[in-house]
Amino acid sequence: MSAPADSMSMRDALYETPGPKTKHRVLVGTIISSVAILAILALVMVRLYEQGQFSPKYWSFFGKWTTWRFLLEGFAGTMEVALMAGTIALVLGILFMLGRISKNRVVSTIFRVIINFFRGIPSLLLIYFFFLVLPGYGLKIPSFWMLALPISLTASGVLAEVFRAGVNAVPQGQVEAALSIGLTDGQVMRKIVLPQAIRYVIPSLISQLVVVVKDTSVAYVVSFPDILQNGRVLISNYDALVSVYFVVAVIYVLINYAINQASVYAARRSGTKIIARTEESPV
Amino acid sequence: MSVSYLFETYGSMYLQALLNTWGMTVVSFIGCMVLALVITIMRVCPIAPLRKVGDIYVQIFRNIAGISLLVFFYYAFPYLGILWGERTCVILVVILVASAFGSENFMSGINTIGVGQIEAARSLGLSFTQIIKDVVIPQALRSAILPMTNLLIAVLLTTALGSQVPLNPKELTGMVSYINTRDVGGILPFTISALCYAGTSFAIGLVGNRIDKKVRILR
Repeated sequence: MSAPADSMSMRDALYETPGPKTKHRVLVGTIISSVAILAILALVMVRLYEQGQFSPKYWSFFGKWTTWRFLLEGFAGTMEVALMAGTIALVLGILFMLGRISKNRVVSTIFRVIINFFRGIPSLLLIYFFFLVLPGYGLKIPSFWMLALPISLTASGVLAEVFRAGVNAVPQGQVEAALSIGLTDGQVMRKIVLPQAIRYVIPSLISQLVVVVKDTSVAYVVSFPDILQNGRVLISNYDALVSVYFVVAVIYVLINYAINQASVYAARRSGTKIIARTEESPV
Repeated sequence: MSVSYLFETYGSMYLQALLNTWGMTVVSFIGCMVLALVITIMRVCPIAPLRKVGDIYVQIFRNIAGISLLVFFYYAFPYLGILWGERTCVILVVILVASAFGSENFMSGINTIGVGQIEAARSLGLSFTQIIKDVVIPQALRSAILPMTNLLIAVLLTTALGSQVPLNPKELTGMVSYINTRDVGGILPFTISALCYAGTSFAIGLVGNRIDKKVRILR
């Protein structure tokens, strides 16, 4: 994912320095498009107003502390699951990656299949596995884990590939040097490669948290009180569907925007690149 | 639950579910590419408000949780006098979310070209249209193959949102919950759905890798 700063320079490089004529045309275009954007926004507002969505009964309860406390509890639930799932995914991701780059062909093939399996199925399907299938075999799991485990499994497949990209970014010469002074394969991995690889992928790990947070939003399936589930309770209490769903959607955007900004900041500070899912090899 | 019982009872539904997942994936991906292209053009055009709208669009839709958008489309829009079918809602949500990532892919495709090439092209006397047509687009498209392959896989996985609305016919994820609420399904229905998803992802990945190897620009 590109940082906004360098995309700017490329954007501007596409055009020559505008002369008076072009400047005039850009100005006209700016005015027309501004008017069009404002008109569309106004249209949406009028529509909302006509349907009575601005009526105080849909919004006044947002003035109450209890409403926000309830939403905050949901937010805490969302972050709890997300952080737990993220932590498990980190550990599993490193383990899967180590298996994947193993020199033993059989081991590496097995882990390649595992990684591709978890990257190739939706987290929702895996949640149904923990929610509907496992209880059928007598396994009773608390709803927190019915959410955290499947999300961490699907994320670990992606993280394994992110870690692998990090390991590949460590110069081969360092590995050779370490081997030549008598370190074993395990020591090379533990002391030379992994510390650098992990530092290299930290921004990517932060940005991967966005995916995990989004995945937790199906918590209501297992009736875990996350932000969306608590929003649904508010809806049934106040009979205000549109406003609550709108506020919840905005909260998701803000959380994930903050996480993304954090990863961009981390990438800029360490001078590394954010490896998104879109940039890794698909198989 | 035995395999034969499962196939007898739900076999044709499963086939429909697979085709439904594939169908929604294809339609969503086409829509997503078109919208991503429009958004990208807005983001690189010289008109500042359009750039801003494009940027805001991407920030909103790559950060929103798909399910919270879907419940908004499916449950909130009727209150605003807009009634859409379940299928339409799911496809629209997937398109909106995926196109934000698609536009990011196009943008990073454009960014890999480098300012120097544009300057070189301009100093050779190429016009703006020539620069776009002969320098930017061919390279941006080639380097976008792999990210777009991954996006197609992501679209496939996102259609699982369809299990959260009463979709008819069902898709692969919805089938698992459908069978399990009706029968003691066991692990089998899950395995079939999972293999359908993983198999499709794998096939998409293979084809994408092959195309990428053929057209990739080695830098």
